[in-house]
Amino acid sequence: MKHFRWILGLLAALTLVAAACGGGNDDDDSGSATPAAAPTEAPDDMDDSMDDSMDDGMDDSMDDSMDDSMDDSMDDSMDDSMDDSMDDGMDDSMDDSMDDDAAEPVATEEPEVDPCEAVDLESTDTGITSDTITVLVMADVGSPLAPGLFQGSIDGIKAWADHVNSEGGLACRQVEVLEHDSAINPTETTNGFLVACENAFALVGTTALFALDTTDLQTCPDAHGNDIGVPDFAYITTEPPHQCSVVTFATSRPNSECPYAGSGARTTQSQVGHVQWLQENIEPDLNGVYLVPSDLPSTIATSMPQVRSFQEIGVVIDGEPGISGFTTQSEYGAFIQIMRDNDSNFAYSGSDDQSMIKWRSEAEAQGFNADDAIWMCQLACYTPSFLEAGDVIEGTYTWIWFLPFHEAEHNQELADFMEAIDNPFPAAWAAGSWADGVLFEQVVNGIVAEAGPNGLTRQAVLDGARSLTSFDVNGWWSPADYSTTQNIMPCFMLMQVQNNEFVRVHPEAPGELDCNADNVVELSRDWAAEFGG
Amino acid sequence: MILGLRPPVALAALLAAVAAVIIAVFNWKGAPVTSETFLVTTYIGLFLGALWAMYATGLVVVYTTTGVFNFAQGAIGVFAAFLYWELHVNRGWHSILALFVVVGMFAPALGVMLDIVIMRRLRTASLVVQLMVTVAIMVLLLSVVGDIWEADTPRRVPYLFGIENGIDLGPSQLPWHRLIVFLAAIAIAVAMRFLLRRTRIGTAMRAVVDNRELAALNGARPNVVSSTSWALGSMLGALGGILIAPELGLDPATLNNVVIIAFAAAAFGALRNLPMAVVGAMLIGLLRAHTGAWLDFGPDYRFAHLSIAPLILLFVVVALPQARLEVGRLAHHLRRHERFTKWWEGLIGCGVIILLAVAFSGGWLDFGIWDPGAWGSRELNSANEAMAFALIGLSLVPLIGWAGQINFAPLAFAGFGAFVYLKLAGDTGNGYWILLVGLLCAPLGALVALPAARLRGLYLALMTMAFAQAMSLIFFPHSWVLPTIGVGRQFPHIELLGATFDDRRGFFLLMVCIFAIFVFGLVLLRRSRYGRRWMAINDSQAAAATLGIPVVWTKVVVYAVSAAMAGIAGVFWATVSGNVDSVQGFDLLIGFNIVLLVAAAGVSIPVAGIFLIFIPLFTGLGHRLEDAGNVDFLVTLLDILTTYGPGMLVLGMVFNPRGAIFEMGRGFSPILPWRSDARAEIAAENAQKREPEIGELGLERPFTPEEVIAIDRRLGILDDVVPKEGYGASRS
Repeated sequence: MKHFRWILGLLAALTLVAAACGGGNDDDDSGSATPAAAPTEAPDDMDDSMDDSMDDGMDDSMDDSMDDSMDDSMDDSMDDSMDDSMDDGMDDSMDDSMDDDAAEPVATEEPEVDPCEAVDLESTDTGITSDTITVLVMADVGSPLAPGLFQGSIDGIKAWADHVNSEGGLACRQVEVLEHDSAINPTETTNGFLVACENAFALVGTTALFALDTTDLQTCPDAHGNDIGVPDFAYITTEPPHQCSVVTFATSRPNSECPYAGSGARTTQSQVGHVQWLQENIEPDLNGVYLVPSDLPSTIATSMPQVRSFQEIGVVIDGEPGISGFTTQSEYGAFIQIMRDNDSNFAYSGSDDQSMIKWRSEAEAQGFNADDAIWMCQLACYTPSFLEAGDVIEGTYTWIWFLPFHEAEHNQELADFMEAIDNPFPAAWAAGSWADGVLFEQVVNGIVAEAGPNGLTRQAVLDGARSLTSFDVNGWWSPADYSTTQNIMPCFMLMQVQNNEFVRVHPEAPGELDCNADNVVELSRDWAAEFGG
Repeated sequence: MILGLRPPVALAALLAAVAAVIIAVFNWKGAPVTSETFLVTTYIGLFLGALWAMYATGLVVVYTTTGVFNFAQGAIGVFAAFLYWELHVNRGWHSILALFVVVGMFAPALGVMLDIVIMRRLRTASLVVQLMVTVAIMVLLLSVVGDIWEADTPRRVPYLFGIENGIDLGPSQLPWHRLIVFLAAIAIAVAMRFLLRRTRIGTAMRAVVDNRELAALNGARPNVVSSTSWALGSMLGALGGILIAPELGLDPATLNNVVIIAFAAAAFGALRNLPMAVVGAMLIGLLRAHTGAWLDFGPDYRFAHLSIAPLILLFVVVALPQARLEVGRLAHHLRRHERFTKWWEGLIGCGVIILLAVAFSGGWLDFGIWDPGAWGSRELNSANEAMAFALIGLSLVPLIGWAGQINFAPLAFAGFGAFVYLKLAGDTGNGYWILLVGLLCAPLGALVALPAARLRGLYLALMTMAFAQAMSLIFFPHSWVLPTIGVGRQFPHIELLGATFDDRRGFFLLMVCIFAIFVFGLVLLRRSRYGRRWMAINDSQAAAATLGIPVVWTKVVVYAVSAAMAGIAGVFWATVSGNVDSVQGFDLLIGFNIVLLVAAAGVSIPVAGIFLIFIPLFTGLGHRLEDAGNVDFLVTLLDILTTYGPGMLVLGMVFNPRGAIFEMGRGFSPILPWRSDARAEIAAENAQKREPEIGELGLERPFTPEEVIAIDRRLGILDDVVPKEGYGASRS
């Protein structure tokens, strides 16, 4: 098996990027929004401004770009505050609980009554006892050639569980975390599904790249023998079987339609807001090179929609060469030559941070004036190791769909995460699996509010998750429509490497994301066939 | 001769050139051809070639001077690159000091250690063992690197001389680093050539590999010479690793994979010609750089530029002059006392295998925590995968174990079987198509056998490796071969005899039955005329041909049988997985591991294939122990065994070249009532080892030293120097 770290990290990163930011719904000028549920010390006006901006934006412009279901959900959910984003799908009691304070694990109409005191807790399904809820986090960690690849996911879930337990637990029980190493291996990934089926209530924080066969995940029997599957709150879903699994709910929203036969045209959404911002503010006539990571069909299928979407908004693509984990730095010289031949002013890497470092280093080696082009990368470049490359990556733009780690004072959820994870620059995987934990927590809280702590079953969780319409990690991330699989996150923020730091460029105000209506382009093509090579 | 080439080679070269032109025309990207682009692309190609030339030089030096082709050359480079990063980047040592410590001290020490501990013991080992041991060293070194330097953090090694400044080439520039590396590669190759051809130690090095004893009689010190060779080879590997790491980043698998390019370059020089190896490396570098700059292969052939090296390796190895016959090693290979398993013994053995499998999967036996029957779906799933690999491994028994045809491409044959089954059975899961899969895979094996018919040993190993790599880069990633996975299983559960094997225990039993049928078939084959012919060509192709055995046809048949078995096994492997990833699924390293484990078990023994099942057994036991708690040390021990066990087992071949199963069988067989021959063999061995009692010799007391000398003198075997303590002293 070509178990190469480079490909795998890249694949995951690409999936995340492709999944990021879709929709958009703001008709005001800036289009920016403060999606944050502010920290406890945040003033009320932050809530107001957030409400206003999201409210206005999400109401009107969504009509144009998104379908009706998205409309309904977003219209309703954004009206009062970001906290009741699950409005449509949940009943009234759920609404109320979310309205009051999403961070509260249990909230009812009569908060003075402790629901945990009132009932005898039972073992209601596999993985639930009277005092514990066992969740399983599966991540690719232990491959001999890439040990620790997604260790961040496991760290994130452990931190989330500690945080939840320290605040009284979930559904009146303590959260216990089982770990399974999927080892970048399809068989071990299937084994993880089997372990979860037999021992855990749900999978939370799944970060497994080779979930090629999800049969066991989707047909696992519950404690009553019904083959309903295991709820899977995944961070990334790279393969169509995982993306289209009916029990999987990915916080890095899949960008492509389901079901999918595996070949032929597939409708896919892509984020283009960050490039539009460049066109509007730096260089209206962008022409340049897009590097397509071409080791796996899934990486091609993830990158090509973005390339075509850039063309759709007027970017001239001078070349879309494929790169591999085996591409040496000097071979990036060919891409520099393409840029020279076409007077390119735009260089976008669909690959990872190491690829961007190679590209920029080679540009320097070839005597290419770095100021002649805008260099841009995606979430995969938002890493400490990217900054370690030093001056060579100065000026590189990168965009993400959540508030950056250094803005913890602007969002309580982010602040909680940073405190729990205890790392000034954690891995993005940790943030992703934490988001999975929060999603799971919200669904469980909804069930508890409706049916009490003994109402918690896998079926109830699946029903609750399926009725979700929107989720934004309590304001830390871009809100996303959960009504179908193909609705990616509409918001983004842009950063630039300046003096060896990631500096916010757009929107300028800390704690804000850009949620413009036209941030998302939707196209339908046979993406694998689009790639020239 | 045409341009110094034999007509067939010249014709093949011409055809290859025509094919290259056609490929270029049909895949032309359309980029403007400017002198600047051409110049830059050319120097990039030459620089890459220089990097690969360093690896290739190390390979050639070691092979020329020790006769061992070092598959671990790349892994030595990986280890050195990580160590250099540790010293220079992580600990802040000056680059020159770190370079000196790694290349000048660590690498030669590693080379000498490898020579003393392992390589010297391989002098008389078969080529299979030699190759397997170097592959095992590769796997172990990579595992150690993975354990010491966790790969979750990307690391970069800075360029030794920096790349910011260089020679001005108009709008572009040639960095000093690349120029220096290029010149250094040429200089090293020239120096090595001078060393080997013009110096006394070089002559001794080449002499020792040809005839160790004769060289020693002429004053050479074989052990010192071989250690020097290994030290030199390691130094070149280390230097290559450190220089190429900035180009690729510090990723063990990626860095190690570069060695395949070096293999192709070394093969270009017939594994012994340094200048030609350097030329080969430069040629590959230029082809790769210019292919990337001008050609566009589309999504289905997206790895075309990466497959240049394997294709060149394949072409060159096939075109190489036929390898010399290894008559000097004949005596070590013969199996004059080989006992053939009787058919009814095979039948009983297969019955036992099935019964054990039923006990395993059905949970009939209760061994508490050690009880495999109590395992859940997870362990059964792993066991199913291992069983599928065991089936693939079984296909190597007639090919490698009996016919001596080294094959690093079992997974390519298996993948081909999966592909054929997918096309035949579609989404029906109809198990009857599996028989046809076997029949259709056999011709592929025969096709591979045709070039293999004139190859032997190392060349054959390289050819199959190149074949496997070419298949994994060109054939399997094609969207028609294994379409992108949609929803559901690509390979549905097999339906056979009216039953659908969608239950893991049932499927496990089905595979065990197939395994037992394969084993029984092999037992019968071994006793057949073909089985004897296969072993005959393994012992001596020349002798076999003299006896009237059609060597080429015999090879074709054994390849066909092996491919058919692997193809059928591939169907089961794909069905276990449900969906096969077209890129990750056929990695050369997995094929290596299968070959390694079967070889370690004893590749000439049919049941050796089942050795692969021990991996999930160990892993499953680890899970059970973890669940039981308070046995961390056992879990850790099992973890270590799982990671390092296969490599260590193969290293065990240094001492036990016929494999673990063979030795276990030797210990077990005297217990069987009908194996009086085994008991007699053991008795004879014991008798040889035992010091006879005085009474057994018809004597009443031991000889005195004087009497011993007198007897020796009488027999004419008196040593020139009588031990100082006299003859009797050591015996008393």
